[in-house]
Amino acid sequence: MIFLKFDRRIFQNFDWMLLMLVLSICAIGILNIYSAGYAISERQFPFYLKQIQWIALGLIIMMVIFFIDYRLIIKGAYVIYGIFIALLALVYIYGYTMHGSQRWLAFGGFVFQPSELMKLTIIIVLARYFDDHKSNEPYKLKELFVPFLIVIGPFLLILKQPDLGTALIIMIIFASIIFFVGVNWKSFVIALAGGLILIPIGWLFLKDYQKERLITFFNPENDPLGAGYHIIQSMIAVGSGGFFGKGFLNGSQTQLKFLPEQQTDFVFSVFAEEWGFIGGMVLIIMFISLILWGLKIALHARDLLGTIIAFGITALISWEVIINIGMVLGILPVVGIPLPFLSYGGSAMVSLMTAMGLLMNINVRKFILQR
Amino acid sequence: MENRLNLLNGPETSEFRQKFKIVFALLLIIFSVLLIRLWYLQVIKGGELKQRSEINSVRFRKITPLRGLIMDRKGNLLVDNLPSFDVVYMPGKVKDYEQLIEKLKILYKRKSLQFAFDQHFPKIVKPYLPIKLEKNVGMEKVAVVETNSVDLPGVYIDVSPVRLYLNGEMMAPIIGYTGEISKEELEEGDEKFTYGDVLGKHGMEKALDSYIRGRNGAELVEVNVYDKEMKNLGRIEPVPGYNAVLTIDAGLQKAAWQELKGKAGAAVALDPRDGSVLAMVSSPSFDPHLFNSGISYDQWDKLQNSPLAPMSNRAISGQYPPGSTYKLIVAAAALEEGIITPNTKFFCNGSFKMGNKTFHCWHKNGHGSISLHRAIVESCDVYFYNVGKLLGADKIAKYAKLFGLGDASGIDLPNEKNGIVPTEQWKLARMKEPWQPGETISIAIGQGYDLVTPLQLVNAYSALANGGTVWRPRLIKRIESIDGKTYKEFAPVKNGTLTLSKNTFDILSQALWGVVNEQGGTGGAARILNADVCGKTGTAQVISLPENEKGRRQRKMGVLLKDHALFVGYAPLKNPEIAVAVIVENAGHGGSVAAPIARKILEAYFEEKAKQPQVMAQNLTTNKVNP
Repeated sequence: MIFLKFDRRIFQNFDWMLLMLVLSICAIGILNIYSAGYAISERQFPFYLKQIQWIALGLIIMMVIFFIDYRLIIKGAYVIYGIFIALLALVYIYGYTMHGSQRWLAFGGFVFQPSELMKLTIIIVLARYFDDHKSNEPYKLKELFVPFLIVIGPFLLILKQPDLGTALIIMIIFASIIFFVGVNWKSFVIALAGGLILIPIGWLFLKDYQKERLITFFNPENDPLGAGYHIIQSMIAVGSGGFFGKGFLNGSQTQLKFLPEQQTDFVFSVFAEEWGFIGGMVLIIMFISLILWGLKIALHARDLLGTIIAFGITALISWEVIINIGMVLGILPVVGIPLPFLSYGGSAMVSLMTAMGLLMNINVRKFILQR
Repeated sequence: MENRLNLLNGPETSEFRQKFKIVFALLLIIFSVLLIRLWYLQVIKGGELKQRSEINSVRFRKITPLRGLIMDRKGNLLVDNLPSFDVVYMPGKVKDYEQLIEKLKILYKRKSLQFAFDQHFPKIVKPYLPIKLEKNVGMEKVAVVETNSVDLPGVYIDVSPVRLYLNGEMMAPIIGYTGEISKEELEEGDEKFTYGDVLGKHGMEKALDSYIRGRNGAELVEVNVYDKEMKNLGRIEPVPGYNAVLTIDAGLQKAAWQELKGKAGAAVALDPRDGSVLAMVSSPSFDPHLFNSGISYDQWDKLQNSPLAPMSNRAISGQYPPGSTYKLIVAAAALEEGIITPNTKFFCNGSFKMGNKTFHCWHKNGHGSISLHRAIVESCDVYFYNVGKLLGADKIAKYAKLFGLGDASGIDLPNEKNGIVPTEQWKLARMKEPWQPGETISIAIGQGYDLVTPLQLVNAYSALANGGTVWRPRLIKRIESIDGKTYKEFAPVKNGTLTLSKNTFDILSQALWGVVNEQGGTGGAARILNADVCGKTGTAQVISLPENEKGRRQRKMGVLLKDHALFVGYAPLKNPEIAVAVIVENAGHGGSVAAPIARKILEAYFEEKAKQPQVMAQNLTTNKVNP
């Protein structure tokens, strides 16, 4: 039994690099949230303290995940998937609504967002599926039907909340993994066409105001009250930071709260205003290092299962970083996607830390699993 | 099988290496783009944007749309919009708003004006969300703010529309009022609502809100530190709301209000052919304009806690014992169940014994030997005591339900009450006590646990008038776009069918005609020249007392314990066009108090009809519905 066999090698080969990278990015995140909330004095329990708590909880979960062999975890992939589908269904029925979107489950004073953990669950389930159905040939459309079914359920449930950003990420993860395991060219074209047909069907699911909101997402000029305003303020904040930045707690855009959502989706503009191009570049390089490290883990994993999971997690982080920063810099439309480890949010932090636990898990077991 | 698994050689096959290379190249390109963009914004455009951040900033100003107009069925305007001048403060860089308000107070004082800030300052102050300091101010204050703008950074005058209710309190219970969005509504509602939006809070303003609200416009402007507009960056025009046409007839409404003004009570007029509400008044009422400039706590408290409840619409929220108007339902039940025929006679000597209890007829000396027709005409209680005893409470309840009683009618107004149709089971569940036979006797004359709203009562009589259709009373006729084109037509909705035999319909309507038109009928005061009126009077005891003691005690009692006066009826006898119910609280007898009011309303209707024959003919064709 490999499970919980406290092999010396687990400690000898512990992934210090990954842990240090994640902790450094988290530390930047805490400072940044502290600055973003600095001028808001009314809150009794500031966001940055809460974020520290979430990081601590995340680290504990990360360690637990790290010690359980990932192949054992994957055995329960479908059960985990079932649980999160059920939670999403619960959100649909009893969900807690904030800002017109029903995304959260509330219990005992906590609110919890199952869709954040669904991103990771999708990766695990798809990895399990493609591991069970290995093929030398590129997959054909027929063979991709079941994975499609796996993804479309959570996709629609999340779209209905509505949470376009998370729904979009789930589809992008699906596409990335499909690309990675290899797909027949013809099938890819047909799937793409199918996806395009699905859009109007999804459209029918939505209420009028949700449609209105989606139109705004793709056409921010339509809505200078919301998205348009966000983008202009965000670009002014980033640009005014200049090469060296205005300094910690000195971002005037940030401190005067011209920036909307400055703890969550627009954290990067807070950071770029105060730390300038130098700071922004360092942060981006840290993210690139994390992504490359993840790809290295994927490449050297001992089995296909580990490769797909590591690749999926790396893809998730890459896309979130790219879309979020692209949005803040005004080159991508405003969709609600958080910046990993920097945006405030408990569910996202727990989900990311779990993912990091899995990465370490895969990395360290390449030395242990003998075939 | 073995040869399909290339991965047994480990993932580091050439195929995977190839894919990692593609991924690596993609990442390189994308992150280069991000870094170049960051360089462009921060280094190339940095200086310019830094300047912009210093003089920032960009604000959006919400442009409130015009709320849709509300009209009566003939197109008479009931609700219009007026411009309102608000003193608005944009938080921006000036954080100390209290000092600002002090300054404003001093400036006002010089012109001997009072500062009327009674809004709570919102908890979350966002620099791009304006806060209304004073609403609906006069021109003097507008002048003060405009001429002192340098001393009042961030303060400016905003013009936004407010509602003008042309008929004030006469229409207030139906039309309702608007108000600024509450914190709860903001959190629960769609994302398209923003702080400071005006929503319908009550009555038709609330029911029609999604049609008449319109959509906010916006203006994106760059301002300097004094919040003066420097540059207009774009504007989106607001979309005005749709207009609404109600089923109400303003003329008839006015006639009803004239009669009830100063009393406590309600009157409802329906078109029995499709359930359209022609008039609905509730008195006392309130001034809906109070809510325009943000009602003060004291005013609100006074309205809410007044013993006469001016904020409640008695026509739908007032629950009253139906009194003798209930005899129609008991008579219908008895005829349909075969308990009596039109020829069945009972002897009334003025009282009725049940066990050791004695029930009295209103006519102390008794009506003598009497049959159904005259028992309804003269409203003989003893006749109905006998019938009620034979029927039992549950049979009466069955027919009351058929008439649409005991359930809210479903009209598009908030706070409609259900009323009560008591059954033996209901009492057991509610009071944990078994039914007493004597209680059936009280119910037979509408005097027990049974409660109805004026709307339910008129709707029940309207079902008899139209030959058996229980309509869902409706107030909204149609929604029109601003150019007058119909956007949505509201069709009549059936709540149920009153299944009585043709014979029963005829007997009952003849009797109701007799109440108003025959010698000795209790409703003679409702008779009019232009049409045959049918109806029934009712006098509902507020507290039942032993009959012998009652007269003596009543004199000692305050007004509040006097009987409620009721009249409900319809006209004309053949092809009825209007049904009306009137209730006046603590006013005395139905025949002497409520019937004359009903007469005035009916007169107003038929006089108007005689004046405008063509218009009425037109209305007839559009209103006709095939049930």
